[in-house]
Amino acid sequence: MSTAEAAVAPAPAPQAYSGLMDWLTTTDHKKIGLLYLMFAFVNAWAGGLFAGVVRLRLWSPNSSFISPHLYNEMLTMHATVMIFMVIMPAFVGLGNYFVPIMIGARDMAFPKLNAFGFWMMIPPALMMYASFFTVHGSARGGWWSYPPLSGPQFSPGAGESLWCLAIILMGIASIMGAVNFLVTIADMRAPGMGWMDLPLFVWSNIITAWLLLLAVPVLSGVLVMLLSDRMFGTGFFQPGLGGDPLLYQHLFWFFGHPEVYIMILPAFGIMSHVVPAFSRKRLFGYKGMVLALASIGVLGFMVWAHHMFTSGISPQAQIFFSTTSLLIGVPTGVKVYSWLASAWGGTIDFTPAMKFAFGFIALFVIGGLSGVMLAVVPFDIAVHDSYFVVAHLHFVLFGGSVMGLMAGIYYWFPKMTGRLLSEKLANWHFWLFFIGFIWVFMPMHWLGFEGMPRRVAFYRPQFEPLNRFISAGFLLLLAGGIIFTYNVVHSLRKGERTSDPDPWGVNDVQQSLEWTTATPPKPWNFDEEPEFVPAHD
Amino acid sequence: MNMDPTSTSFPAPHGAAAAAAAPGHAAHGDPSAHAPQPSGWPLLLAFGIGLFATSFFLLASGYHVMPLFYLSALICVLIPALGWATTIARERHHQDPVYTYKILRRGFFYFLLSEGAIFGSFFAHNIYLRYAHAKTWPPVGAPYLNPHLAAIGTLLLVFSSFTYHWCHQAFLKGKKALAKNWLLATIGLGIIFLGIQGYDWGTLKAFDKFTYQHGAFGSEFYWMTGFHGLHVCVGLLFLSLVYYRMETNQIDQTYNFSLTAAEYYWHFVDIVWVFLFFVIYLL
Repeated sequence: MSTAEAAVAPAPAPQAYSGLMDWLTTTDHKKIGLLYLMFAFVNAWAGGLFAGVVRLRLWSPNSSFISPHLYNEMLTMHATVMIFMVIMPAFVGLGNYFVPIMIGARDMAFPKLNAFGFWMMIPPALMMYASFFTVHGSARGGWWSYPPLSGPQFSPGAGESLWCLAIILMGIASIMGAVNFLVTIADMRAPGMGWMDLPLFVWSNIITAWLLLLAVPVLSGVLVMLLSDRMFGTGFFQPGLGGDPLLYQHLFWFFGHPEVYIMILPAFGIMSHVVPAFSRKRLFGYKGMVLALASIGVLGFMVWAHHMFTSGISPQAQIFFSTTSLLIGVPTGVKVYSWLASAWGGTIDFTPAMKFAFGFIALFVIGGLSGVMLAVVPFDIAVHDSYFVVAHLHFVLFGGSVMGLMAGIYYWFPKMTGRLLSEKLANWHFWLFFIGFIWVFMPMHWLGFEGMPRRVAFYRPQFEPLNRFISAGFLLLLAGGIIFTYNVVHSLRKGERTSDPDPWGVNDVQQSLEWTTATPPKPWNFDEEPEFVPAHD
Repeated sequence: MNMDPTSTSFPAPHGAAAAAAAPGHAAHGDPSAHAPQPSGWPLLLAFGIGLFATSFFLLASGYHVMPLFYLSALICVLIPALGWATTIARERHHQDPVYTYKILRRGFFYFLLSEGAIFGSFFAHNIYLRYAHAKTWPPVGAPYLNPHLAAIGTLLLVFSSFTYHWCHQAFLKGKKALAKNWLLATIGLGIIFLGIQGYDWGTLKAFDKFTYQHGAFGSEFYWMTGFHGLHVCVGLLFLSLVYYRMETNQIDQTYNFSLTAAEYYWHFVDIVWVFLFFVIYLL
C-alpha cells in the first residue's frame, strides 16, 4: 500500500458546469438523489391522474366516460407508474442523497454508474408513456401482466411489448443502483463506523439493495421470456406450445413479493429516524430492528405463492406459503412496537414529518393486519381478487410507503435545500391525505366483503353508493397533492432559509451524520473526514 | 439500548485531520477536490441504450426503418461506452489502486450475482416444466440432444477456465509473454466452444427441423444456450480487451482490475455452462 500511495497523483479540481449542464453531467450523489425525487414527483402526478380517471369511470356501474379498454390501460399504467416510476425511484433518491452522508463518505462508490442508473430511467419512462400512442394503446394486462392475457393472442399490439421492454431496462438501472449501494456501504464507511453503528435508514437500504440485486433479475428474465413469446413465437408461457402460465405467476411473484419489501423497507428506515427524532428520545431496540429488517428480507423470498392461493397450487404449498407469510408478521410487529416504544414517554413534537410518521403507523398497521388476514388461505380464497385486496395493498403502499416517504421528505427537505417548507400548508397536506386516504380506501374493505371484483370496469348496481363515496374522496387526495406541490415549488424559491446543520435539533438523540455537516451539504459532503465515535450503551 | 432520554448526548463526530485517512480518500488540504468529476457519458450511454432498444423493438416488430437508424443507434451506444472507459482509465491515476481494486471487485462480484439470478429464472423455468408440469420430458416429438459433442465443449470450456487462471498467475508474476500465450489459448478454446455450439444448433435446425418456435422445449433450449452463448461472446470481447491492454502496456502489477474482472466473468460463464450442460443435455 505504501508504494502504491506514492504513485497516486492528487486529483485535479473538478470541472465546474453551471445551470442545465450541471444537472445533466452531475455525478454528485446528492444531485442525482434530487433528480430521482423530481422524476418521482412528476410521475406521481401522471400516476395519480390515471387513478383519477379510473375513479371517474367507476362513478357509475356502467359508465360511458371512457371505454373499458382505456380503463384497463389506465389501471395498468397507474400501478406500473406508481410502483416503478414513483415509489421505487423516490426511495432510491432519498437513499442516494443520505446513505453516503450517513456513513461519512464523500460520494457513492461509483459516481458515474450512479448517474447512469438515474438516466437509465428516462428512456423506459418515455417508452411507457409513448405506448399510449401505439395502435392498440398501452399495456392493459395489469402490472403483473399475467399470460395468457398478456400473451400475443389476447394483447396484440406494441403496448404490452413496450411495457416489457421498459421494465427490463428499468431493471438494469435498479441492479446497477443496488450494486452501488452495497459496495458504498461495505467499503466507504467512515473510520470507526462498524456495521452495527449504521443508522437504520442505511440498514434498510442494505436489505433493499440485496432484494433488488436478487429479485429484479428474475423479473428481467421472466419478461425476456414473455417478450420472446410475444415477438418471436416462443412457447415459454403458451399453454398450446407446452408452456405454463402458472409458472409465469411463480416467477413473477418470486420477484413481486420481494418488490413489496423493496417499496416498504426504506419507509421503515425513515420511520426509525423520524419517530425518535421528534420524540426527543433515542431509538428503542436498535439490534432488534436490524434483525427484523434482515429477517423480513430473507422471509420475503419465501412467501411469493401467497399471491396465488386461488391459482391452483397444491395444499401443501398453500400451508407452507401461508405459514411463512404469517411469520413475516413477527419481525414487522417488532418494528412497529419498537417505534411505539421509541415514542413512549417522549416529548413528542408534532412536526409535519412526525404527523406523517404517526399516520404511517396507524395506516400501515391496518394494512399489515389485513395482510395477515389474507395470508390465511380460506379467508384469501373468499376475498381473492376483490376490493378487499385493493384496500389492503393501498393501505401498505399508500398508507405505508407514501406516508413514510412524505415523513422523510418533510424531515430532510431543509437539509436537502436549505429552505423550510411552510408548516401550515404541510399540516393541510397531512390532514387531507390522512382523511382522504381513509375516506377512499377504508370503504373498499366493505366492497370486497360484499364481493365487488377488482380490476373490472363494470360492477353491480348495489355497489354504486360506496363507489361514488370513494370517487368523491379522491378529491381530498387531489387537493392534498396540489397543496404539497405548491408548498415544495414555492418553498424552493421563497421558503425561509436555514443554514443550521441540525435545523430540527435532533442530533443529541440520534447519531446520524447528515446533521453534522453543512445545510445544504457541500458537493464534497464533509470539510474534514468525519471520524465516527460510537456511543456505547 | 439506553432508554433514558436524559442521558448524555452522542459524541459529535470530529474531524480527523490527524487520524488515518479513510480508505479511498487521500487526505488533501482543499476539500473541494473531493467533489466528484462531472461526466456526460452516463447520460449519453443511457440514451444510446434507449435508442438501441427502440431500434431493436422496431426491427423485431417488422417496421421498416432505414438501416442508417440502426447504425446510428449502435454508434450512440459505442461512443459513450468508449468515452466512459477512457475517462475511467485516465482517472485511475488519481485514485488509490488498492482501494479502487477492492470496490471494483466487490461491485463486479455483486453484478455477477444478479446475472446468476437471471440464469436462475431460466433454470427455474426448465426444472418446473420438467417436474411439475410435463407428463413426459423431453416432450413427445422433441429431438434427441446429443450430449457427446456438448460434453467435449464442456471439457474445453472448463479447461479454458484453468488456462485463464494460469494466464492471470503468470501475469502477476511478471511473465508477460507466458500470460499472453495462456490468454490466447483461452480465447481459442472459447471460440472452439462457440463453434461446437453453433454446429449443434445447425444440425438440430437442419436435420431435426428443431427451432425456438418448437414449443416450450425448443424455446428453453435455444434461449438458455443462446443467452449463455451471448455471455461467451461478451467474455471473448472482454478477454480480447485484456489482451489489447497487455499488448499496449495499459495494465501492470498495480492496475490490473480488467484482468480480475475478466477472470470472474469467464469463470462465471463456465460455471453456468456446467449447470446448463447438466440440466439440458444430461438430466
